[in-house]
Amino acid sequence: MHHKTFAQIEIRYFYLLLVLGLVVVLGGLLAAQQMEAHGHVISGMNNQVVWGLPHVFAIFMIVSASGVLNVASVGSVFGRHVYKARAPLAGLLSLALLAGGLMVLMLDLGRPDRVIVAATNYNPTSVFAWNVLLYSGLFATVGLYLWTLMDRTMGGWSKPAGFLVFIWRIILTTGTGLIFAFLVARQAYASALLPPLFIIMSFAWGLAIFLIVQFAMFSWNELQLNPAIQKRLKNLLGLFVVSVLYLVATYHLTNLYFSRQVAFERFILAHGGLYTALFWGGYVVLGSIVPLLLIFMPGLGQARCVLLASLLVLVGAFSLLYVFIIGGQAFPLLIVPGYTVHSSFGDGQLASYAPTVFEWALGAGGLGVAFVTVTVGVRILNFLPHDDPRQPMEGN
Amino acid sequence: MTQLALVIDLNVCVGCHACVTNCKQWNTSGSAGPLLDANPYEADPTGTFFNRVQTFEVGTYPNTQTVHFPKSCLHCEDPPCVPVCPTGASYKRKEDGIVLVDYDKCIGCKYCAWACPYGVREFDEQRKVMTKCTLCVDRIYDEALPESERKPACVLACPAGARIFGDVHDPESEASVAISDNGGYALMPECGTQPANHYLPRRKTALKIQNEQLYRSANPLKVEGTAPLPPSSEDFAT
Repeated sequence: MHHKTFAQIEIRYFYLLLVLGLVVVLGGLLAAQQMEAHGHVISGMNNQVVWGLPHVFAIFMIVSASGVLNVASVGSVFGRHVYKARAPLAGLLSLALLAGGLMVLMLDLGRPDRVIVAATNYNPTSVFAWNVLLYSGLFATVGLYLWTLMDRTMGGWSKPAGFLVFIWRIILTTGTGLIFAFLVARQAYASALLPPLFIIMSFAWGLAIFLIVQFAMFSWNELQLNPAIQKRLKNLLGLFVVSVLYLVATYHLTNLYFSRQVAFERFILAHGGLYTALFWGGYVVLGSIVPLLLIFMPGLGQARCVLLASLLVLVGAFSLLYVFIIGGQAFPLLIVPGYTVHSSFGDGQLASYAPTVFEWALGAGGLGVAFVTVTVGVRILNFLPHDDPRQPMEGN
Repeated sequence: MTQLALVIDLNVCVGCHACVTNCKQWNTSGSAGPLLDANPYEADPTGTFFNRVQTFEVGTYPNTQTVHFPKSCLHCEDPPCVPVCPTGASYKRKEDGIVLVDYDKCIGCKYCAWACPYGVREFDEQRKVMTKCTLCVDRIYDEALPESERKPACVLACPAGARIFGDVHDPESEASVAISDNGGYALMPECGTQPANHYLPRRKTALKIQNEQLYRSANPLKVEGTAPLPPSSEDFAT
């Protein structure tokens, strides 16, 4: 009986993955077309919850696109060879995630056909407009960086290009955090903690995505990751997860200190139904504590544990963003400070939001774009990290 | 600088929603419209309304009051929705202080709805642009209308006269006088947005009556103890 090796049939798997990814992208585009034809009335969004599930996907991908570059920055800016070997893959992942995130963000706009208006009518006082420049700029700077990494004649420029990317992505994630930090109208936001929180979230989520893709690529090519590198990367992920947890705890504990914020915190932390469940169950337990156990528990920490931990970090990321973005809008505006306000609708009433299938499909379509870009990218160009076995490991 | 605004008397508003329906009718038919109406006759109607009346119960039973609270764009003097707009579609007119949205420049990002502390931005889910109260800018300057009708549709509709329209920067205007005479206040002044629209507070109309007003303490009858005798015929004879 003749058995085909994986190498002989892997082309089929490649096309299968490609088709699956394209189907998801197509689903996203169809959903966007439906929302364009019928309006946002077919989404779950309303006048209280104006940003829904697609924004959770979009912000997740944009923040992760910045964070995944951390691996490249440690290599190019701080000169660590282990990380530099991974810089091209990090760059590709960043471009792919940014493309997916921006696709969702643009198609979820009320009028995506007016993108040209956003480009030609620029309001310099708007943090949203700053981010239009920052996102476009990241495409350009990462593209330049990838060029210096992949073209041997440009090798000397990789360090300055890497430094430019490092600065740009820190500013970009600060800008994304500022979208919320500048909002004084709603109780969930208006905190100077948000930009650093977004930066550290980007580190954790980006590295988790990087580790998942790296695991898939090494498995696909039947390679084994150097245990020393594995250990370093998993410890880094653990450090980032702890840091996010610390900043999230600080954010909520400081809020609890302000009496005007107590009702909101009780809503999120104690009796917010789905939001409370997602915060504690999705983010704290599944997205933080379990991954930390998988990474640091004696006897655990092997490749599969790290893979599972990375996947759970992403579950936590979605849970946290859902609570942060949707939960923050669901809590009613403080129209009459100092009074408990009840009404049959609108002010004083918790807003309800249930994402529709169109929003799920659009968000997943963005992930599909990132998936297809990475799948094709690693197929046609050499993005597999090549670790030099003779290269001594730098000190930690 | 002129600052047009509404002054709403919460002491007079009875929550009849005439302002809501007239606002909707005028604006859905005019240059701001059409405004969405989704499932209007079903269990969960929704749509775009520039003006909404919310009804609150104040206090704890049995010591409660019902307050009808009409709310539309407050046309803030320092509107937080304007600087956040990425395309500059949200703007404040210098000549009369009205905050408007240029529908042709709005990309529907809804960031202004995040920034408004009063929750009065209305995203039209069918046209996919942000809308809001225009103070009936297409009506108040319309010289084809009689001068008495050059007012926002909600003001004209209010049967109780709870809505006053005018320039709150002109101390002689009806709106300014109503504010100064009745303790008018702006919503959430701590936000620093300086809303142009003002509310006149609930006022209890009470007449304090002293016991002395009901019972004459200086009544000579009380002092004397007995009623004087009626005059006899002899007294008149002399």
